[in-house]
Amino acid sequence: MRFQAAVVCLLPAMVLPLCAQEPSNVEFFEKKIRPVLATRCYACHSSKAKSPMGGLALDTREGTHRAVAGKLLSALRYADPALQMPPGGKLPDPVIADFASWVAAGATDPREAMTPSAAKPAGVDFAKGRQWWAFQPVKEFASPNTAWARRKIDGFILGELEKNNLSPSAEADRRTLIRRAMLDLTGIAPTFAETEAFVKDVSPNAYTELIERLLASSRYGERWGRYWLDVARWGEDNPTSEATNPGYQFAWRYRDWVIEALNRDLPYDRFVKMQLAADQLPGFQRDDLRALGFLGAAPTYHKDLRLSRDVIETLASDDWDERVDAVSRGLLGLTVACARCHDHKFDPISNDDYYAMAGVFASSMSVRRPLSEVDAETEKKIAFGQVRGFFLEYLIKLMKGEASTVREPEKKIEKFQAELTALKKATPEMKGDYTHAVIDAGLWVDGSDADLTDLDFRMGQHRDLPIFLRGNPANPGALSPRHFLTVLEKGAAAEPFRNGSGRLELAAKIFEGSAANLTARVVVNRVWGWHFGKPLVGTPSDFGTQGDTPTHPQLFDDLTARFIANGWSLKWLHREIMLSSSYQQASHPREDAKLQDPTNRLLWRMNPRRVDFEAWRDTILATTGALDSRMGGPSVDLDAKGNTRRTAYARVSRSRLNTLLKLYDFPDPNQHAPNRELTTTPLQQLFVMNSGFAQEQARRLSDKAVAASGDLKERIGFLYTTILGREADAAEIDLALSYLDKADWASYTQALLGSNEFIFWP
Amino acid sequence: MMNRRAFFQSVCAGLGTVGLQGMLQGETARPHFAPRAKHLIVLFMTGGPSQLDMFDPKPALLKYAGQRPPGVDLRTERVTGGLLPSPFAFKPHGRNGVEVSELLPRLAAVIDDVCVVRSMHTFNPTHTPARSLIHSGNISAVRPSMGAWISYGLGTENTNLPGFVVFGGGAGGSLWRSGFLPAEHQGAQIAKVEPTPEKMIRYLRNTELDTEAQRRQLDFMQTLNRRHADGFGGDEFLEGRIQAMETAFRMQYAATDAFELKGESEKVRELYGATEFGNQCLLARRCVERGVRSVFVYYGAGQPWDDHTKIDKHLRGRCPDMDRASAALIADLKQRGLLDETLVVWGGEFGRTPVSESGDGRDHNPYGFTMWLAGGGVQGGIAYGATDEFGFKAVENRVSVHDLHATILNRMGLNHEKLTYRYAGRDFRLTDVHGEVVKGILS
Repeated sequence: MRFQAAVVCLLPAMVLPLCAQEPSNVEFFEKKIRPVLATRCYACHSSKAKSPMGGLALDTREGTHRAVAGKLLSALRYADPALQMPPGGKLPDPVIADFASWVAAGATDPREAMTPSAAKPAGVDFAKGRQWWAFQPVKEFASPNTAWARRKIDGFILGELEKNNLSPSAEADRRTLIRRAMLDLTGIAPTFAETEAFVKDVSPNAYTELIERLLASSRYGERWGRYWLDVARWGEDNPTSEATNPGYQFAWRYRDWVIEALNRDLPYDRFVKMQLAADQLPGFQRDDLRALGFLGAAPTYHKDLRLSRDVIETLASDDWDERVDAVSRGLLGLTVACARCHDHKFDPISNDDYYAMAGVFASSMSVRRPLSEVDAETEKKIAFGQVRGFFLEYLIKLMKGEASTVREPEKKIEKFQAELTALKKATPEMKGDYTHAVIDAGLWVDGSDADLTDLDFRMGQHRDLPIFLRGNPANPGALSPRHFLTVLEKGAAAEPFRNGSGRLELAAKIFEGSAANLTARVVVNRVWGWHFGKPLVGTPSDFGTQGDTPTHPQLFDDLTARFIANGWSLKWLHREIMLSSSYQQASHPREDAKLQDPTNRLLWRMNPRRVDFEAWRDTILATTGALDSRMGGPSVDLDAKGNTRRTAYARVSRSRLNTLLKLYDFPDPNQHAPNRELTTTPLQQLFVMNSGFAQEQARRLSDKAVAASGDLKERIGFLYTTILGREADAAEIDLALSYLDKADWASYTQALLGSNEFIFWP
Repeated sequence: MMNRRAFFQSVCAGLGTVGLQGMLQGETARPHFAPRAKHLIVLFMTGGPSQLDMFDPKPALLKYAGQRPPGVDLRTERVTGGLLPSPFAFKPHGRNGVEVSELLPRLAAVIDDVCVVRSMHTFNPTHTPARSLIHSGNISAVRPSMGAWISYGLGTENTNLPGFVVFGGGAGGSLWRSGFLPAEHQGAQIAKVEPTPEKMIRYLRNTELDTEAQRRQLDFMQTLNRRHADGFGGDEFLEGRIQAMETAFRMQYAATDAFELKGESEKVRELYGATEFGNQCLLARRCVERGVRSVFVYYGAGQPWDDHTKIDKHLRGRCPDMDRASAALIADLKQRGLLDETLVVWGGEFGRTPVSESGDGRDHNPYGFTMWLAGGGVQGGIAYGATDEFGFKAVENRVSVHDLHATILNRMGLNHEKLTYRYAGRDFRLTDVHGEVVKGILS
């Protein structure tokens, strides 16, 4: 994916042994000339390119001779400012001297006379690419309506099972159903009272009412918001968090917006559009700016501006690449970032498509924007003042530092200081709350000063990126005007974006035509996976040719089509899935079915799972009565003493991810995570057995048990109902009594909290 | 669909990786070929140690002391002065007369087991990206680290201990990350050597129950777990967690044993030196003895080897304990017959400039620097490659960071082009699209 700019620095051509050879020899050409042409010139000047730059192909004898007769030496010597080659930097003097000797000796070139290759690389065949299943319109299918089928999806599931001589499992018992549904929608297991009430409720609508109640609970947004934060690779600082990429103080506002948006069932299309372009959508409210944290608090690399322009532009393009990746894999299920250095090897995504999308992010500047009302002109001034001011202060500090690298630092300090003073004067002050967002401003990297690279942000301007050949910004090719992925466009070619950065157009395109079908498929698949523990398409962020195909194509199409028809409502989707017979099946293993379909591909049962870390910790806190259920606000470190808030409010650091989160498979917030791979490791069990958290929570609850009754059996009964939501049976009471002979209540309580039953999601 | 490997990992992690490898035989069949080393110990000198004062003598620095010879490009990211001769004397050592400076008498004494690579080069002159590169093959701090790749490729030999252990390293968590590889492959960090193992490993020791009471608690919990699993009808996760609980219980003692320095004789403690780095190296030896696959040891906190000033004084202060412990590690491993199966690698993220900075310091130098390797499958007593006349740029037998990675993997029985992981639509490698095994140093 990334052929670093570094390739340029590793050139073997510079370290050729200094063996004396006659410049007229073929050997001289092979050792000293051809390798340089190959490594420094072919990338742009090759007959294998679609159109070699300047029509010059240096991999042919003819082309090379043409260059020799023309301006080759002058270009290599950087003699003419209008034609300097290679553009990434002048070749070392000895290499240029070799070229001069070679030209002087007649430019011997042993290569066969040849015409440029007739077999041009095919490029991306978009017409063929458009035929891929994931880009086709979704459509509804008829589903057999049987006695088993409660919802439409059941007919498809049953159909496949029957085709394979399998039958579905019986309906799960009531206790399992409420535990399953509550963990699923709220991330907290039911209390004993809730379970009992549900078990005793004989109304035929009891389950439907339960689902409605859970969907209406604000716990729902906290649960499903956290799922989205994995997709959005949400974090509150940066991969390294150094001088130019400090932490995001207000990142929690995006987290809160996600939770609120899901709680009010903001339609998914609007939900996504707001995260890309809230400030440009009709009906925009200042508070919506929080949604832009998806871009505004994205992982960003440190840029030490003493480094060369090429290095800095590489780092900037790594930032843009990250956004391309998060948007394309996260929202579209396409690995567009694979097309950074060349056309995608497998999918119909061109190198041009990549830079056309990256340009949108090169035209969107990360900035803290005020949440209170402000006019557009003032806001632009505030935004520019903030970002430019930050970098000016950084530059000044850099040069005042002990080991300044910059020649004549005083002069520059003076210049920057003057700029800073003027800037401060021109920037209106605005108090009140801010949030991390983006605003339309293009970024150019200014390398005019050899000692100090500068970031040149231009408010309201956009930047169309050139194709960086082989991903190398020092090697710019043809300009790639911003547009959407060609393969998802209606016409043969993509329409260029015309409106500012193009964020709004990008957001709109994601929900138009075949892109809408794809986008809807991707989110329906994710939601299905979170409900069932396994998605319909096994590669939830790769719907390309290297990804999996759906296990139930008709079901998938039909459900997706109806999701769109129902206004992209996620709550509609939850209902459709959770009210189905398929979802309500028992999860016990069945030998016959296991033999035939060991991975439960066909859903002959519900998938039993372990509870993920957030739901497990939150349920422990709820069980012991310690849970602090306040919503929203700044994050708290997970390990902070007395932190009993829901895990969704724990601080998420990209540079120093909390060790407990890491231990329990929390995905790396430095990049989009397609799903979590839940592991079960010994180190996790050390936490269960030995951590202060486990001991403290156990003691808290055992104290309650002891206080509640003097009777041992009653205490055991209290702990069973409180922790496991059920009565203890006689054998369990005997086991407990004999254990308690030699152990205290805290140790007993800890064993129940650490048991498999407590962490199981049947 | 979850792939086969991921499926087994999710359900069988409790069985440990040996069990996992067993189940995956035939699919991955790793190692790819007979390994020359089973374990890796990396001694990391954070900050960029000066090759010119330790391993790469350059008489020309004296000849042109204080000057910048015309026509020679010695420019780096900061303002630097004239050439700064090393204040330290070099002498040849060992059967091939490898030159080592007077700062390192003990390493000089074991030089016949050491392969000094003088032609390393990297491409980013800033600490964080350069460090990320040498750990993960990429300048961005997102890819899995080498230790995680090796753990993923080979698993561990001792399921009661983590397969990848890190000593020191401060807050550099991203350096031993597992990235997109499964979380079990990330390095288990022991930030500081403490008198007792339970202070080093989080949650290792139960502070409330003694062994007997803890065993009783676990037995009780496992009885409940067994009843529950049977009642459910059997389940991979439930079985896996029962196993993981048992392993965790044993790990408390296995780790206590591995991270306990008290068991070592006075003589051995003296050999390594009673310093933080000495203790780390000794614990590293105890780890590989017990089957830990990779150990990374970080010398000191922060970036101690970043000698922008007073290099003479600073190296005199830092080298003795580094020299003592590194040499002790080699000698001790050898004496125990472990050196043949353990690859020891020493170095930093880059080297330092031959020209002075602030008069008596040296700036970062990514263009040429020294690392050394010892043990499993590399030749001892040789100096490989060379920098230019001034020790600035690697010019002969150049070794890139990717080449180094390819070579380390090769010695451990892994083909760097085949050790891949499919993520985000493509197969990733530690060496990306680069890297060639440095054949000239293999034994």
